[in-house]
Amino acid sequence: MANDKSSMQLISRGILSENPIFKLALSMCPAVGISTTVMNGFMLGVAVLFVQVFSSVTISLFKNKIHPRIRIPTYTLTIATWVTVIDLALAAYMPEAYAKMGIFVKLIVAFAIITMRLEMFACKESAPDSFWDGLGMGLGFLIGMMVIGLVRELLGSGAILGYDVLGFKPLLFFILPSAGFFVVGLMMAFFNWIELVYKQAKGMK
Amino acid sequence: MKDILTIIIRLTISCMLAATVMGAAFLVTNKAKKHNEHVNEQRVRYALLGYSQEKPIPESMTLHEIYRYIVSDENSQSIGYLLPGKDGLIFVTIDMAGKIVENKPVQIDEAKVREKEERDKVVREIVGGGKDVSFADQTIVVTENGKRKAYLLDGKFTGFKTFIGVMLALDPQFSLLGLEILEHEEDPGLGAEIEQNYFRNQFKGKSFENLKALDVVKEPMPDAYFQALEGNVAESDAAAILKQYVDHDIYALTGATISSRAVSNGVKGIAKKFAYRLNILDTVLTDEKIAVAF
Repeated sequence: MANDKSSMQLISRGILSENPIFKLALSMCPAVGISTTVMNGFMLGVAVLFVQVFSSVTISLFKNKIHPRIRIPTYTLTIATWVTVIDLALAAYMPEAYAKMGIFVKLIVAFAIITMRLEMFACKESAPDSFWDGLGMGLGFLIGMMVIGLVRELLGSGAILGYDVLGFKPLLFFILPSAGFFVVGLMMAFFNWIELVYKQAKGMK
Repeated sequence: MKDILTIIIRLTISCMLAATVMGAAFLVTNKAKKHNEHVNEQRVRYALLGYSQEKPIPESMTLHEIYRYIVSDENSQSIGYLLPGKDGLIFVTIDMAGKIVENKPVQIDEAKVREKEERDKVVREIVGGGKDVSFADQTIVVTENGKRKAYLLDGKFTGFKTFIGVMLALDPQFSLLGLEILEHEEDPGLGAEIEQNYFRNQFKGKSFENLKALDVVKEPMPDAYFQALEGNVAESDAAAILKQYVDHDIYALTGATISSRAVSNGVKGIAKKFAYRLNILDTVLTDEKIAVAF
């Protein structure tokens, strides 16, 4: 299966039509667990972006050397390696952020989205295409996390990026993990609605 | 069969490659991590003494580190202190009766003292063969213009789940200046509240007499006290409120009495033991006329 999409199409696919959180509904655990503020969402998003891009490129470079029977263990090993690298880097250079989300960084190994992209895309396509696909998916995850974080931080603690904007706390409920499900659900509905409207408008013409 | 062999070989090679990448990352980041940990430790120490980045520690203040070792051989046990002497470090050993055993100078670099392995090695060499040496704890004596200002103590005790690591600041009369929770694994929302200001700051200002009889009460905390502990009240008002409760026992955290009691007893134990040990050490130092930097 050769890839016929350009790099821009690959990126936009990850962000919009196949957004990992809102469309594919993968890796919901971190989306719900850590997206309590914009900054947290951003940090984990960056970590996932890094791991996704590096793993995709690594797998795509070595795709002919990977024995088909043990491809999943090989993917896990690759992801675990890059997760360890970013884990060490975060612990060393950003200790404060790491203290808050250290446990979630280690969990990236088990994120469905990364393994899924390796299995669906990187093991078949060339390295540059895998890079763009990984970048798109990582960005899609990053943006998704930040949007959820924005809603939850604004409604939960009345602030954006730690700055108090509302001056009061509308609904403390949004900080709690259960609210993550509500926000993700509503976002999904919103994204689907936009797509529906867009398609209808296109069909009218 | 051939498949199995290729799988084994390829998996081994992938694992080795992965290990190389991870090892390289470790080598690159380890130095920065150590540096950060040191900076963080320094920050906690200064915060306990009431200093911060905006309000740096004055030049006249110095921090002297004392390391306590337990030296034991087959039939006796003694306590060894690695102290900063007037010129260079010294290692003073005191037996269980509080009498000095020996006093030897130590040759070690300033930077190496901080590394536990390096320090342990040097201490072992000084003590000599046949004796077992184990590191017990570390104390920091803070002096201002040569006079003792405060003590910083590291401590660890059992909490509700695992160990709780704390750092205390005591003044020369052993009153508590502050308490910082360094590590713990208590339940979030219950025992983990020991980190919060309204719990930690209750210990602030307790005199040694208070500390010795410190207990935990299961009563709701008065709101005025809570606000003062959290720092939501103007400083002058807060001081008056805090003063009112200074002789009061510790208000237990709701739903975490065991954690609260563990911290209270732990702090009490650390302070009491330290006061006892320091007394012996000071007596020995003055009796033997050993000059020290603090």
